[in-house]
Amino acid sequence: MRHSTVSTSPDQESGALSTSSNTRSRHSMRRTGRLTLLVLAGALLVSCADAKSDTLQPKSELARDIHFLTKFSGWLAAIIGLLVGAAVVFLIFKFRERKHDDGSLPKQVHGHTKAEVGWTIAPAVLLAVLAVVSIPTIFDLVDQPEGAIEIRVEGQQWWWQYSYDLDGDGHYEIVTANDIVFPAGQDINLEITSNDVIHSFWVPELNGKKDAVPGRVHEWRIQADEPGEYWGVCTEYCGLSHADMRIRAVALSDGDWNAWVASQQVAATVPGQSFLPGSEEEDVREGYELFQLHCASCHIVNGVFEAAAENPVPLLAGVAPNLTHLMSRTSFAGAIFDLYNEDGSLNEADLTAWIRDAPSQKPLDPDNQQGMLSFVDSLNDEDVQDLVAYLSTLGDRTPTSS
Amino acid sequence: MAIIEEEPQLLELESGEPSAPVPRDLGVFARPKSTTGWRSWIFTVDHKKIGIMYGVVAMFWFFWGGVEALLVRSQLASPNGEILSAAAYNQAFTMHGTTMVFLVIMPLAAAFANYMVPLQIGARDVAFPRLNALGLWIFVFAGIFLNLSWFTGGGADCGWFCYSPNSGLAYSSGSGVDYYALGLQIAGIASLVGAINLIVTILNMRAPGMDLRIMPIFTWMVLVTQFLLLFAIPVITVALFLLTFDRSFDANFFNVDQGADPLLWQHLFWIFGHPEVYILILPSFGIVSETLPVFSRKPLFGYSFVVFSGIGIGFMGWGVWAHHMFASGLGPVSVAAFSATTMFIAVPTGVKILNWIATMWGGKLRFTVPMMFSISLVSMFTIGGLSGVMHSVAAADTQQTDTYFIVAHFHYVLFGGALMGLFAGMYYWWPKAFGHHLGTGLGKTHFWLVLIGFNMSFGPMHILGLQGQARRTYRYDENLGLDFWNMVATIGAFVILIGMLVFAYNIFRSAKQYKSGEIPRAEADPWDGRTLEWAIPSPAPEHNFDYVPVVTELDDFWHKKYQEDEDGKVVKIADGNDIAQKGDQHPHLPSPSYWPVVLAFGFPLVALGVIYNLAISAVGLIVIIGAIYGWTLEPPTDPDDGHDHEGHEDSGDGTDAGDASTDTEEEEAANV
Repeated sequence: MRHSTVSTSPDQESGALSTSSNTRSRHSMRRTGRLTLLVLAGALLVSCADAKSDTLQPKSELARDIHFLTKFSGWLAAIIGLLVGAAVVFLIFKFRERKHDDGSLPKQVHGHTKAEVGWTIAPAVLLAVLAVVSIPTIFDLVDQPEGAIEIRVEGQQWWWQYSYDLDGDGHYEIVTANDIVFPAGQDINLEITSNDVIHSFWVPELNGKKDAVPGRVHEWRIQADEPGEYWGVCTEYCGLSHADMRIRAVALSDGDWNAWVASQQVAATVPGQSFLPGSEEEDVREGYELFQLHCASCHIVNGVFEAAAENPVPLLAGVAPNLTHLMSRTSFAGAIFDLYNEDGSLNEADLTAWIRDAPSQKPLDPDNQQGMLSFVDSLNDEDVQDLVAYLSTLGDRTPTSS
Repeated sequence: MAIIEEEPQLLELESGEPSAPVPRDLGVFARPKSTTGWRSWIFTVDHKKIGIMYGVVAMFWFFWGGVEALLVRSQLASPNGEILSAAAYNQAFTMHGTTMVFLVIMPLAAAFANYMVPLQIGARDVAFPRLNALGLWIFVFAGIFLNLSWFTGGGADCGWFCYSPNSGLAYSSGSGVDYYALGLQIAGIASLVGAINLIVTILNMRAPGMDLRIMPIFTWMVLVTQFLLLFAIPVITVALFLLTFDRSFDANFFNVDQGADPLLWQHLFWIFGHPEVYILILPSFGIVSETLPVFSRKPLFGYSFVVFSGIGIGFMGWGVWAHHMFASGLGPVSVAAFSATTMFIAVPTGVKILNWIATMWGGKLRFTVPMMFSISLVSMFTIGGLSGVMHSVAAADTQQTDTYFIVAHFHYVLFGGALMGLFAGMYYWWPKAFGHHLGTGLGKTHFWLVLIGFNMSFGPMHILGLQGQARRTYRYDENLGLDFWNMVATIGAFVILIGMLVFAYNIFRSAKQYKSGEIPRAEADPWDGRTLEWAIPSPAPEHNFDYVPVVTELDDFWHKKYQEDEDGKVVKIADGNDIAQKGDQHPHLPSPSYWPVVLAFGFPLVALGVIYNLAISAVGLIVIIGAIYGWTLEPPTDPDDGHDHEGHEDSGDGTDAGDASTDTEEEEAANV
């Protein structure tokens, strides 16, 4: 409730700011700098509507709690800043040395102890208020309600893996990548860690960020009010492709969520042998065989290719995305590409380019075991088409991702 | 304070008594004699020349750091920029931050400290002139060494904070991080040498009568800064050693597989890194605390509050480091504690700002260029300080940290604060250092372009950060609504560039005009100053003071010009330029030396050896040890030095400046 009352004011206030700055600007060029500031301050308060990962448009209770504190401290800062700014502008005009000054000295004031004690205590009191208002939220954010769905979040160069232990037996029934899928309207407990360097998990509309540190497991929580797609990005600098380590949070309705959970637990099957040359079945089978040859040493497909679960994967992180239900996702390659076009068809152009030569699509360093190899020399166009045909059989599209 | 004013005579040898005879057969141990040409700069131990060289070298790196910044901004001008590759972008932002912090702002502050502190306290040089030269040359070689990495496979790509384990050999296999770790290590030695020298100078070499309660405010802030350096540099030294040992000698300090906790690096880095922030800003606070009273024609409001708030910042600065780590997984209790300490460090900072405003209040403000930069520090730093208070709200910081909101914040503090103050200092003290003013018209153009460009560039970053733009990302998606403000920020960066070009032209033009006689030599006291540096001619003569002034009160020089008449009204009794010293004496001065630059050259060799082959380190060590021997065997002064007319030689143990200042005790008594 407190949130709604505060959030109505910014637009009116920013309007007021720019009018007052208009009248001021007539006086003198010297105010240009200050005017710029006021305009920027005004613009700061009017948030951009089309941003897809905007902290100013919270979509969960947690994000709203934080947003309240941002606004509270922001207004406090803005008021003090405007008072100081007004004082500076005032004294610039009031106390400037006049053209025909007699050269006499102004009153020599060396200090005023009472005033100085006063302006030491006043900010201390204001800050104490800020501390009392804000510190409880620190504890709220890490609070993990019992019985909530728990997702293990693992960062690695340069993508995110999400694992779900649905029955609490210590075994992850669902392992997926790029899209973190969860039901809307409830608390989701996260266990965040890393398989290589430090990353940070951040979906601005759902909560603040939490670092993923190798060797440590950090507890965090997210929620989403409504089903939908929310974007995020890794926010701890993690090397070459840090900018391309993105996050899609996909919140589902309860029905969709149950369907998703059920379908994700179905293992893949080996495609049948086809005897029709040029048929789709033959392409899929060819792709399956190529996958075995080129992809299976890193990627797992549950029930079909599990070598990567047993043998060491030739990557610093030691893990590559599990592709069992690839087609149920909205994105690939660290969530930098949409898996589907706007018309609902598979984004074959980017997927083909990615399989053929991943390092040309996203900065990777496969020579140093950081990211996917280029297959330019080992796969021809037809091979890549066959692989795409095989991959498109892995999993079904999730209903809300359309 | 148990610092007692010592009578300087104690150091003096009996007049006429020669010191131990100096063997002349080894010419290499003679001291250099050149007083002109490049040799007079390379081998100088004059604090003023050293200060100027700090400034020149820092401005060169400022240009280079600016190029890196413009590359970054060009890349981000529009979504999915393609000017730089991801690898090049990562190096550019890493080296931009590292350069601006370690090679620009710190040495610029060192330039002012070196040049101005002895003048403000009435000394002829710093306590250890040769160590002073050593500090400069170590810094010069550290900068060159750091940037050598561009020619050996690329600069560091780990961010200026270089978090482990991303800085480890497995994840950053080029030599850039090695250059970073060893280069900062070398720069740290320079800072430590300088810190010890300035602390001893300030505590021991003040003019008679200048106790700490009436010491100039800039000197005070320099003193606090040097203590911060003295305690902060060892922490980063340890951290960098651990990193170097991990990378070069297979140690496991940050190897997670062997049980290391990567947060160790973060704690060490920020225990250094937060005091470092105050190391960067306090000298500028000192500068504007000098300029605002001069150009308001009023004393500093609440001198002791400003001093004590500076000391308070110095102490409290050690208790807030974990606010850089609110998202890194500390427990909520630690986060809450550091959140609270961070809020309260705003108090002493706020006190300073209000005292500055009170200083101007009721004054007669003269809008000279240094005054304009000073006022812009007061207002721009306030914005940065207030966004800092927003970060101190730890829960809100989880949305702000590692976004452009933080980038905006620390640029308002470091550019809007530290750099604006340093520019104020440049325009203010330029006539004292170079004998002529910088052009006022060009100066004002410079000021307005920088102020406008700065706000265009960094103001919008507040918005971008809150809209979710992450830091250190070489590209951003076009669907995020970030295009407009990024373009504005980039245009702003180029406006700053134009402003800085105007500044460079101003330096060039005014120097040329001064040489050709178009603009006159600056007077001793052009601004109606308050402190002792204005009591000597411009440019400052080599020996600084003809006689050592005796100080009786705060702003002593000003009180020699203005006094109360019978009615209690403050009136002018003398013109500063008339009562200033003439600079026509030729007291004995410390001799130049070859060894500081030779000794300094050993350090990059040792460091190169750690990266490539320890044999090079051995050569470096030999250079260092040889130079130390040369240093100690060096004759105290050149026997042919024409200045030792009084027939005595200084002790050559580094206290020669203090000694030098005693030469004219009698003249001083006569003059006062």
